[in-house]
Amino acid sequence: MTPLPAPPRRVERLLARALARAIYRDDILGDLQEAFADLCAKRGAAAARRWYCGQALRLAIRYGAGATGGARSPHPPTSHGGTLMDRLLMDIRLAARSLAKRPTLSAAVVLTLALGIGANAAVFGVVDALLLHPYDMHDVDRIVMPFTTSPQWNGRRETVSRADFLDWRRDLASGSIEHLAATLWWDANLVGRDEPERVLGFFVSPAFFDALDAHAAIGRTFLADEEVPANAKRIVLSDALWRRRFGADPAIVGRPVLADGDQWLVVGVMPARFDFPMGAEVWAPLSFDESAARNRTAHDLTVYGRLAPGRTLAAADAELRTITQRLAREHPDTNAQLGAAVYTVSRGMADVGVPAVLALWQAAGVFVLLIACANIANLLLARAAEREREIAIRLALGSSRGRVVRESLVESGLLVAAAIPPALAVASASLRVMHAFMPARIVRFIAGWDRMGLDWWTIGAAFACAALAALIFGTLPAWQTARGIVGDALKSDGRTGAGPGRQRVRRALVVAEIALALPLLVVAMMSVSTVTRSLGSWQGYDPTQVLTLRAILPEARYPDADSRARFAGAAVDALAQASGVREAAVANVLPAIDSNATSAIELPGRPAVESSKAPRVDYRAVSDGYFDVLRVPVLAGRAFTAGDRKSSEPVAIVSESMARKFWPDTSAIGEHVRIAGGPWMRVIGVCGDVVHDWFDYSRWADHGNGRVPTLYRPIAQAPSGVLVFAVRTAGDPLGVTAGARAAIARVDAAQPIFEMMTMRQMQRDRAISLQYIASVMTAFAALALVLALLGLYAVMTVLVTQRVREIGVRIALGATTRDVARLTLSQAGRLTAIGIAIGLFLAVALGRAMEAGLLGIVSSDIRVTAALAAGLAAAAVGASYLPARRAASVDPIVALRTE
Amino acid sequence: MKAKAPYLGELEQQILLVVLRLGDEAYANPIGERLRTAAGRRVARGALYTALERLEAKGCLRSTMGAPLPERGGRARRYFTVSAAGMGALRRSRRVLLGLWDGLESKLETS
Repeated sequence: MTPLPAPPRRVERLLARALARAIYRDDILGDLQEAFADLCAKRGAAAARRWYCGQALRLAIRYGAGATGGARSPHPPTSHGGTLMDRLLMDIRLAARSLAKRPTLSAAVVLTLALGIGANAAVFGVVDALLLHPYDMHDVDRIVMPFTTSPQWNGRRETVSRADFLDWRRDLASGSIEHLAATLWWDANLVGRDEPERVLGFFVSPAFFDALDAHAAIGRTFLADEEVPANAKRIVLSDALWRRRFGADPAIVGRPVLADGDQWLVVGVMPARFDFPMGAEVWAPLSFDESAARNRTAHDLTVYGRLAPGRTLAAADAELRTITQRLAREHPDTNAQLGAAVYTVSRGMADVGVPAVLALWQAAGVFVLLIACANIANLLLARAAEREREIAIRLALGSSRGRVVRESLVESGLLVAAAIPPALAVASASLRVMHAFMPARIVRFIAGWDRMGLDWWTIGAAFACAALAALIFGTLPAWQTARGIVGDALKSDGRTGAGPGRQRVRRALVVAEIALALPLLVVAMMSVSTVTRSLGSWQGYDPTQVLTLRAILPEARYPDADSRARFAGAAVDALAQASGVREAAVANVLPAIDSNATSAIELPGRPAVESSKAPRVDYRAVSDGYFDVLRVPVLAGRAFTAGDRKSSEPVAIVSESMARKFWPDTSAIGEHVRIAGGPWMRVIGVCGDVVHDWFDYSRWADHGNGRVPTLYRPIAQAPSGVLVFAVRTAGDPLGVTAGARAAIARVDAAQPIFEMMTMRQMQRDRAISLQYIASVMTAFAALALVLALLGLYAVMTVLVTQRVREIGVRIALGATTRDVARLTLSQAGRLTAIGIAIGLFLAVALGRAMEAGLLGIVSSDIRVTAALAAGLAAAAVGASYLPARRAASVDPIVALRTE
Repeated sequence: MKAKAPYLGELEQQILLVVLRLGDEAYANPIGERLRTAAGRRVARGALYTALERLEAKGCLRSTMGAPLPERGGRARRYFTVSAAGMGALRRSRRVLLGLWDGLESKLETS
């Protein structure tokens, strides 16, 4: 015999408890179980369980919440004005009716709330995607990233040297972190069936995939012995690359592919969606040769690991610190200053500036929400004041204070509930807009950007914001209502809300709004001015009508300086001959590109210092047309020519700032300089300064205007394997892309080029993160400004309405309209002045926080702050103009008759 | 002296009629089911029990317990029957309604 289906035990027990006082308790439970068994037979167990839970919930609410004391009462639902549920439903109906009676007010409140909550939820959506849940990986909180730290780097974390990594791995072998793995950036030049392509890859320790708990979809990942250089020519493909370049051919595993001039054996294909880190498309084993394994100075490895079972992040951090302390003792020359820190992968992958910026956004969001709440509290206070007499009468007739307060709270709750759907719409739209404007090539470097959207966390945040808002703006009117003194309200002459206490509260709210709006305005202006400065101002070169393209020469095919120099020269010539091209040049680094090269230099006659203390300058290897193509002026001496060859005298050109720094009293022309260990070079020219990177905050402090000393060498004398071409065109730079591609292919058909874009685009991409900061802050500031002004307007209107009689008396006694207007305006002016005074403090504090958070990219300017304060004051006076005019136009006869 | 028959609400009236129709099988589940099929109204379970309690308290319904049943987890069914007072109340409300309807049928058809 099959057992009879039984309803969910736990639910049944809870229901039984809720029904403790019901007369028919056992009957209800039995009826439910019987109906459940029927439903099981008809619609299946799952549907029946759902039904049972729903029924149980409703019954529990009806009986549980409605238990009105006493033993089993024969009439529980009716004896005390209905069950709690009934009373609540009635309150909700009442509140809805009363809100519907004032549709404009209700709509204003809902709209204000929707904007405030929506903005906060959107920011939280970004925080969630970028900081809290950027990765969709199994047990992501156990994946950790150990970094090297040093006081020299201002406490910033750094990547790890090879020898340190190997020591860490050996010492942590049975400790807190397992599968310790290192990764190294790899620009892989793939050659195959189609045209050559540069793909983003990583050299990874075999344990990398274990650390992430990632497994190949086809084939396998790397074996431990593939870390040995002899076995290291293995490759794992991403799903996307496998589909794009290899037609999703499962037989690719076990076959060789050509990359960087070498043959690599494909051993596996990863599942779709695995592209860690940074949208990687290929992975190869990271191998160490003898000398690399001893290197403790080049910090270029990013390290990952997984917390061993039962171990915590703190334990791992402590253990690694102990290891680094020992390493510091054993290798004092390189490791004396070095420490270590372990982060979760979500924090480790986030840009150091990101948490600060997001904190700033969230703070701005909270400011806006507070302003919105202050506004709504004000509106509701005004309403509560209008109902004062009604409420007083009800209290006098025996209604309980609790009930009156409850009604007020229910009204607030209803408003918040109504605001949640539009708030979610606002959040979703904002996130979509933010998502749409970020270029795809940058998105891959922002972990989690693609996950940004309205997920459950964000929706939860919206609800939390709403609850907070309800608490803030709901309690104030409720409290004021509850305080209402029956006699006073009934005796009063019908003027509403005139109690001094209530007026004080309302004025304080307006002051708070203005005080909160000003700092937002200041911070928004700071970020906007930084963006305009970075995009609009002269940067030392002319980026219009310039196309840029990049190539990275693989070592296997371009093993020596000569071959690289030959390629660079031939490629520039080929590009210059392409149709639509006026001039072409090549360099190792172009201005505004997302990489840089620096070098330590020596000057003759100055005492030699160890390399870490030697002066460093930006280092550029450029072709002879470089200064012409980018329109960088040569201020003294000459530019490079075709005559500056490998065989001729080593020469250099220095930037104006470099000339000033190292030869302040004499001309730099004819002086000598060398890169540590290199040949002495004669300075043959001085060129104008170029702003390489507005946002390189680490150097900003030293070179306040972005003009970093720069040393230029002819690329023929200093060939580079990393090449960036600049092509000045006659028309639209994007019109010559096909020609440029063909030109490079004529020189070397197997050499891929990538990131072909205009120089303007490159500049815009560099500024994009700051543009985002500026746009979001501007949106917040605009919202705050509008809300604060609306709040001031509303309060002044209410104040004028309340003083109509007084104004009437004044006019009757001979005050002019001008006097009356001045009275109102001065009242508004006082509130504004107090608000701005407080706001200035907040503005300075928030500005400082932003400077610190963005590491000095933006700077606060006291003049801008003062101008904004003045502007806000003017706007505030403007907002109170209408109420003032209304006050001035009061007819004394009418005013005095109002009883 | 005979007690005056109590007034009935619409749901109460319908429940009494359904109990009469169900005869020996009148316990909460079929009562709710019959209300749904015959009267076309979905009565929440809680509301149904409340109404049954009220009718019993007014004396319109009487209830008796059946035998414990395994499909109910060993609990018994509570069967309802309409009491004399309940019959009186039904009669009275029928009389009142018929009286009110008298002579209005033609109006109902033409409008």
